[in-house]
Amino acid sequence: MATLFWSALQAVLDGLLTGSLYSLIGMGMALIFGVMRIVNFAHGAFMMLGMYVTYLLFDQLGVTPYLGFLAAAAVLFVLGVATYHGLLRRIAERSEFMIILLTLGIAQMIIGGAQLIFSGDFHKANSALNTRLLHLGPHLTLNHGDLLSFAITIVLATGMFLFVMKSRFGRALRAIAQNRYAASLIGINVQRTQAVAFGLGIAAVGLAGGLLLPALYLYPEVGGQFTLKAFVIVVLGGMGSIEGAAIAGVVLGVVESLTSLYWGNQWALVVDFAIFLLVLSLKPAGLFGSQRV
Amino acid sequence: MTRRRAVLAAAGFGLCLLVPLFQGAYHLNVLFHVALFAALGVAWNLVGGFAGQLSLGHAAFFGIGAYALPLFHDKLGIPIPLALVLLIVTAVGAAALIGRVAFRLRGPYFALATIAFAEVLRLSAKNLDRVTGGDVGLQVPGLFGPTAPIQWFYISAVLLTAAAFTATALIVRSRFGYQLQAVREDEDTARACGIDAARVKLQAFMISAAFTALGGALYASQISYIVPDAALAIDLSERPAIHAMLGGAGTLTGPIVGAVLLETAQELFKNVFHESYQLIYGVLLVLVVLFLPEGIVGTIARWRRRQRAP
Amino acid sequence: MTAAPPPDPPAHPFRNPAPGAPGPAARGRPLLTLEHVSKRFGGLRAVNDVSLTITEGEVLFIVGPNGAGKTTLFNLITGFLPPDEGVIRFAGRSLAGTPPHQAARLGIGRTFQIVKPLRNLTVLENVMLGAFLHTRNLAEAGARAREVLEFLQMGAVIAQPAAGLPLATLKRLEIARALATRPRLILLDEVVAGLPTTEALALAGLLQRLPEWGVSAVAGVEHVMQVVMKVAHRVIVLDRGALIAEGAPADVVRRPEVIEAYLGAKYKQVTG
Repeated sequence: MATLFWSALQAVLDGLLTGSLYSLIGMGMALIFGVMRIVNFAHGAFMMLGMYVTYLLFDQLGVTPYLGFLAAAAVLFVLGVATYHGLLRRIAERSEFMIILLTLGIAQMIIGGAQLIFSGDFHKANSALNTRLLHLGPHLTLNHGDLLSFAITIVLATGMFLFVMKSRFGRALRAIAQNRYAASLIGINVQRTQAVAFGLGIAAVGLAGGLLLPALYLYPEVGGQFTLKAFVIVVLGGMGSIEGAAIAGVVLGVVESLTSLYWGNQWALVVDFAIFLLVLSLKPAGLFGSQRV
Repeated sequence: MTRRRAVLAAAGFGLCLLVPLFQGAYHLNVLFHVALFAALGVAWNLVGGFAGQLSLGHAAFFGIGAYALPLFHDKLGIPIPLALVLLIVTAVGAAALIGRVAFRLRGPYFALATIAFAEVLRLSAKNLDRVTGGDVGLQVPGLFGPTAPIQWFYISAVLLTAAAFTATALIVRSRFGYQLQAVREDEDTARACGIDAARVKLQAFMISAAFTALGGALYASQISYIVPDAALAIDLSERPAIHAMLGGAGTLTGPIVGAVLLETAQELFKNVFHESYQLIYGVLLVLVVLFLPEGIVGTIARWRRRQRAP
Repeated sequence: MTAAPPPDPPAHPFRNPAPGAPGPAARGRPLLTLEHVSKRFGGLRAVNDVSLTITEGEVLFIVGPNGAGKTTLFNLITGFLPPDEGVIRFAGRSLAGTPPHQAARLGIGRTFQIVKPLRNLTVLENVMLGAFLHTRNLAEAGARAREVLEFLQMGAVIAQPAAGLPLATLKRLEIARALATRPRLILLDEVVAGLPTTEALALAGLLQRLPEWGVSAVAGVEHVMQVVMKVAHRVIVLDRGALIAEGAPADVVRRPEVIEAYLGAKYKQVTG
């Protein structure tokens, strides 16, 4: 009985740590959806790029992923802004249908490009931090790497939340989300603000990729399932709600972790989708956060 | 569709059926895939193009078709013709189930829900290894006996495309077809015209699922061995949509044009550019969305309309 | 591969009045009744305890300032929105839980204030979609659509795609599409708003002839008082979701509270 309890608690802790990164991925997508109504099918592909940036720094210069992720965020911010200006801005007035197809195409381009440059080989960045364990009593252990990434994530997620809620820029963002036309009338530079929002959303998923690097094998198609997870998180959190996505990410991490414990790892994603479909059909406005459907 | 066009289409499909007289197994294998994807594209187009509902979960129906054959025939001992009937029934039933949930959602929510269903099916097929063999896979019985030549599959794929094409052509020129397009253009207006939007969408989805499942069965039988990551890949949902879009979603011939161009191109790219074909595929898709939003056939049609109009 | 579906025998010959449509003797029977109907959006009472009756043979116009709840009222009647409170009856039957397509099948036709054409279809096809409510047959639906379009003097644009037509034509297209469903009650949501005065008055003339098409009652929402005065038998004034005045058009516009609070500016503006 006691072992059952401790293993469940361990699973919850692990889930919280992974979930914090899911939150970051989901917040990125929620930001993009909330402001621009873009359902970003390239989210996971951008995350994979963030992982490669972090990996290259690690492999070539020996930079630990726990610093390298910053570079990933910077590179992806620039890429995000460029993608917005180069591609997405051109079809802003088209149907959702077209926007989805465009992001699908962008994802294919990124994955195809990565195949070409990095080949399909698997890579792994082992950090010494991940082998060092922290024992909480006799039953619970956490590794230093996960704890560090958890701390970093909390700081970044809080920062992002405050930025969107409190800053001048954030107010402009929310004005655009409410009514693009009215926002432009009161002197908000809609194009620039949206470009920055897209860049931020992409940077968030990119740095989450960097922080996930030590935990995952890296290959060009690694991002696919994270695109799907980001959808689950965003729907769970209420499409476009940043704080909703933050909570939903953590919840998803814990649910996955418990699913793995009781039914096996291979069912985690199935449970994700089951929750997703249930929420979509019963409460399409999402479970957490203010909804904006 | 005018009589002249009907004759043209029949002649076109007839010519395709003659190809095995001139081509060897390698080329027929490529052409089999082209024809198969043409059929999938035409089937997808009924929902995605004419009804305007962006399904990204058609892999579910393809997979149902692929898995139903070995499961019904080998595991349950059902003879092949009956298994084919049951497979269609299963796919249509699945479409009714998925549609009932997904069509309550609009826009991106619908697309996401269809993806989720297809993914649940793929992951379940991976995990329920006692039934599906999991990642080890299943041997698939031959539709035309154990060692049928590729010619048979190629001809079947062409006939499937022709059947889906004919069905679409008949639907488009019927009340049902107009109602689908009304739902695509404006659901509120459609409903004000007395159209039960949810119902016509569901019917289109079910017809589309039946053809897609037959495509899956054909594919599985030709390749003779299936695993979830191949028979239920997300790619199988995206590609027919992309083909239809490139050719012209909501046009009769668009999906066929798209499938022929892209599948042939992919085959060439694979040989010429090796690793980079996916990159080229992505670039093409982006270019189409940016510069040819109505697809090739759609753009030509509009151009001709404008020429005719004063 | 001929594409035409097997022709069904015409169950409802078009030129006959719609089933149940009254002769002149039936004038005065209630066709649509609203009893204490309310609809809230958050804290806003869009429609507040509205009761009204539309009788057969009647042309009723609803006027009132923007945001008075006129369009919401139409959305409640046609099932696009469910009422929070109250009962709506059509031909004696409660419409509770009736979805929009069912309302259309019962004989309630409507236009949309913000025109919603089927953009990639031609004008004829747009109207055929209304006609398909009573026939599967393409030729028959086409014939009906042509008749309606001829009546609305749109014969010249019949083959053009709806996308790119001017607003005046799109407004008429809304009416044509609704008329092709052979409604017993037709709800016209600002069909003349935004049109030049001559065009508006010409259209008003056509609206007076709707009974020829089997329409037994017309309910309109309109700002243009000239049209209301010309066409309406009775006028209802809505303000902030509530019904505040009702009566013959000439009476209503003379009531001081109506003039000052709601119609003043507009009425003066139009009548000079």
